[in-house]
Amino acid sequence: MSTTSTSATTASGSQERHGAELVFDSVSKRYAAKGRPAVDSLSLNIPAGETVMFVGPSGCGKTTSLKMINRLIEPTSGTITIDGEDIRSKDVDTLRRSIGYVIQGGSLFPHMSVRDNIAMVPRLLKWDKSRIDARVEELLEMVSLEPGRYADRYPRELSGGQQQRVGVARGLAADPPVVLMDEPFGAVDPITRQRLQDELLSIQRELGKTIVCVTHDIDEAIKLGDRILILQEGAQIAQYDTPENILAAPANEFVEDFVGAGSSLKALSLSRVDEVELQETTTARVGEDARAALARARSAGDRGVVILDDRHRPIAWPSLRELQYMDRIPATRDDRLPVVDRRATLNDALDEMLAASQDGIIVTGQRDDYRGIVRFEQVTAYVQEANRNAERAAMSRLSTQEQQRVDAEQPSGATVDADRERVEPDATAEDLR
Amino acid sequence: MWPFIAERWQDIAYRMYQHTSLVVQSVVLATIIAILLALLVTSRRSLVPFANAISSVGLTIPSFALLGLLLPLVGIGAIPSVVAVTFYAVLPILRNAVVGLDGVNPALVESARGMGMSPLMTFLRVRLPLAWPVILAGLRISTQMSMGVAAIAAYALGPGLGGYIFTGLAQVGGANAINYALVGTLGVILLALLLDALLVLVGRLTTSKGIRV
Amino acid sequence: MSTEVLDTAPAPETGKRLSREQVILLVGLPLAVAAIFAVWFIWWRTADLDDIEARALTGEAIRAMLWEHIKLTLVGTAIVVATAIPMGIALTRPGLRRLSPLVVGFANMGQSAPVIGLLVLFAMWLGFGFWVAVLGLCLYAFLPVLRNTIVGLQQVDPTLIEAARGMGMSPLAVLTKVELPLAVPVIMSGVRTALVLLVGTASLATFINAGGLGGLITTGINLFRFPILVSGALLIALLALLIDWAGRVLEAFTRPKGV
Repeated sequence: MSTTSTSATTASGSQERHGAELVFDSVSKRYAAKGRPAVDSLSLNIPAGETVMFVGPSGCGKTTSLKMINRLIEPTSGTITIDGEDIRSKDVDTLRRSIGYVIQGGSLFPHMSVRDNIAMVPRLLKWDKSRIDARVEELLEMVSLEPGRYADRYPRELSGGQQQRVGVARGLAADPPVVLMDEPFGAVDPITRQRLQDELLSIQRELGKTIVCVTHDIDEAIKLGDRILILQEGAQIAQYDTPENILAAPANEFVEDFVGAGSSLKALSLSRVDEVELQETTTARVGEDARAALARARSAGDRGVVILDDRHRPIAWPSLRELQYMDRIPATRDDRLPVVDRRATLNDALDEMLAASQDGIIVTGQRDDYRGIVRFEQVTAYVQEANRNAERAAMSRLSTQEQQRVDAEQPSGATVDADRERVEPDATAEDLR
Repeated sequence: MWPFIAERWQDIAYRMYQHTSLVVQSVVLATIIAILLALLVTSRRSLVPFANAISSVGLTIPSFALLGLLLPLVGIGAIPSVVAVTFYAVLPILRNAVVGLDGVNPALVESARGMGMSPLMTFLRVRLPLAWPVILAGLRISTQMSMGVAAIAAYALGPGLGGYIFTGLAQVGGANAINYALVGTLGVILLALLLDALLVLVGRLTTSKGIRV
Repeated sequence: MSTEVLDTAPAPETGKRLSREQVILLVGLPLAVAAIFAVWFIWWRTADLDDIEARALTGEAIRAMLWEHIKLTLVGTAIVVATAIPMGIALTRPGLRRLSPLVVGFANMGQSAPVIGLLVLFAMWLGFGFWVAVLGLCLYAFLPVLRNTIVGLQQVDPTLIEAARGMGMSPLAVLTKVELPLAVPVIMSGVRTALVLLVGTASLATFINAGGLGGLITTGINLFRFPILVSGALLIALLALLIDWAGRVLEAFTRPKGV
C-alpha cells in the first residue's frame, strides 16, 4: 500500500496528511426575502486537520451550513474560504472534486460496482487507470473491505454497514483535504455504527483530514469530534469547543439540555479505550500448532487465545476448550469477534462486550492491528472511578452555575422543539441544480 | 361542419348512444369476468404469474387482428364487436384485480375470518373494498381502450361512431368525407373523456374514505 | 443481550433477477409463436386454395406485406424514440419541469383519440401513403415513451443526484452517468409499449394505402374469404407477439447491472 504518497500529491492543493483550514465569515442563508434566515451570520474557524462535529436540533441550519461549503447551497451573503481561498473563486465542479462528500447510507450509485463508485472522482480528475485501480484497492483496504471480494460487487450485494464504508472510501477517493459528512452513520444499526465510528477514527488518525460532520447524535459528536459546534435555530452558535469542555462547562441551558442530563455518565464516552492499560494475552498465528498455543495459554493463565492473521489482525478469540479439539489454528474469521479501536470510547467497549457476552474485548490500532485486550473488570473499575469524579465535579459546578445564572445573557426559553423543520429540506432540493 | 351536424344530429346522437352502450356493456361484462378470474387466480398463488403473462400477451394482439380471427367464428355484425371489445376490456381489469386482491394484507383477511365472516363476506366486505381503487384504475384503462377498439370493430359492420370514420374514408373526395371522419373521431374522443370523468366520479363515491388518496 | 450478527452482507448475485412471469414470457412466448407459425405454414403449403385466395396468399405478396409492416413499426419506433426521449429529458430539467404535467395531460388526451380516425383525417389532410401513416402511428406511440421517460427520470433518488453534484459531476455528467442509466428500465418498458402499439396500429395502415399485413384482413373481409382473413390476422398477431418478445429481450439486456 505504498500509493499514498503518489495520490496525495495530485489532489489539487492538498499536502500529504494535512487538511486545510476552513473559515466561515459572517455567512448567511435566506430562503425567503422575509422571515428568519436559515443561517444567520455564521462565523467560524475550523483548524486544518481537525474533526468538527455540527450538532443541533432539526432545522437549526447545520446541514445548510455544511452544504454551503461545497456550494450545493449558495450563501446569501458572507464568504467561506478554504486555506485562505474563497470557494467562489473556483469553478463549482472543480471545487467539489477537491472536497470529499459522504452522505447518510452511502448514497452509492446502484448501477455501478463498488470500484466504479469509488473511482468516480478520480475519473473526473482524469487519473490514469493503473493509478485509479491502485487507489481503489488501497481505499477498500483502509475501510476493511477485502478488495478481491468486494471491488466488483454492486451496492445491493452489500450490507448497510458495508455500503456506508464504501461511501466513506468514495469520499476520500481523490485524497481531498476537506471531507464533508452529512449524518454519515445515521442509517445503520447501533453496533455497526459504533464500528464505523471506530474505523473513521482510525482512518482520520492516519490521514489527518479536515472533517466537517453533521450529526444529530451528541454521543457521536463527543466520540468523533476534536471540537463540537452546537447550533441553535438560525445556526446561532450555542457553543463551539472541545467535547471535554462542553461536558465540563456547558455554556448555557440550551447546551446543557442538548447534551443531556446524564453528563456524568456521558463523560464515560469521553474516555478512550487507550486510557485504560491494555492487557497482554496469549496470541497465535493462523496455521500454527494449536497444542503449542494451548500450552502457552495454560501457563500464562489465560482463558482464551487471540488468533491473528498474516497482517497481525485479530480474526478470532476461541476459548481453551474450543482449542482442545484443533490441530492447527484455523483461518476462519469470527464475525462476532468483540473488537474495538483503541480510540473507541469505553462506552463502546462495554456495549460490545455485552453484545458478544464476553468478559473482555480485543483492542486494535492502525489498520486493525492487534494491540491487546481490555477486561470487563477494568472497565467497571474505571466507571466507578469516573462516577466518583463526576459527582465531585457536579457539586462544584452547582455553585458556579448559580453565579452564571445571574449574568446570563441568553434568554432561558431557548429550548427547541423537534418539529421545527421549516424551509430547509424543500429549499435544498430547489437549490440543487 | 356545423350544418353537417345540424342536419343529422339525431343519427349522430344515436350512434353515440350505440357506441357508449357497446363499450359500457362490454366493460361491465368484462369487470365481472375479470374479478371472478382474479378471485380464482389469487386463491391459487402459483397461477398468478400465468394470469399476468396471459393478460400481457392478450394485450399484445392487435385489435384488428383479433377481429379478423373472430369473424369466421361469430360472423359479421354486432356480436364480434361485443366479443372483441369484451376480450380486451377483461385484460387490464384482470391484471389490476390480481395485483389488488393479492396486495390485501393477509392479516386483515385472517382477522375477518377469525371474526366469523364467511369467505363470501370476507370477499365482499374486506378484500374487494380494499382492492377497489386498483381495480378501478384498470377499469379506466379498459374503458379508454374499448373506445378505440369499438371504433375499429365498426369495420365489421358493428354499431357506433366508427362507422362514420369508415364512411368518410369510403367517400374520400366527396363533400362530406371530412365531416364524417371528423365527427366520428371527435365523437369518440368526447365520449372517452366523458366516460373517464364518470369513472373518476364513481371512484370517489365507491372508494372507502379510509383508503382514499 | 443477543449476539445476532447485524452487519451481514446479502449473498452475492444469485442470478434471480427475473420474475416467474418474465420467464414464462421470455421462454414460452417464442416457442408458442414458432409452433403456431409452423402449423399455419404447413396449412399454407398444403391447403387447397381457390384462385382468389391463392393469388392473395402468394409467398411474394405475404413477404412484401410483412416487410411493409415491419418497416412501419421500426421507422415509427425510431422516430418516437428519437423525439420522445429528448423531450422527456427536457421536461425534467429545472426550467421546463413545470410544463411536464401539462404536456403529459395533453398527450394523454391525444391517446383517447381512435387511431383509425387519426389516420383517416391525416390522410385526407396530407395525402395517402407510408409517411403519413408513420406520422399517425408516431403520434399515437409518442405518449408511453414520453411518460415513461419523465417518470423514469423523476423516480431517481434525489439524494443520489445530490451526491453526484456534490462530488463535482457536471449537470450533463449527472444526466448521462447517473440519471439516465437508472431510468433505463422504465424508459425501455415505455419503448416496448410503443413497439406493441405500433405493430398493432400498423395493421390499420392499409386503410390509407400504406401497406402492411392489415391488407390481408381487409381483402379477406371484402371478398369474404376466411383463409385470407385468418392468415392475415394470425400473421399480425404472431408478429406482434414476436416484437413484444424482442422488446422484452431488449429490456432485460439494457437493464443496468446492479439495479
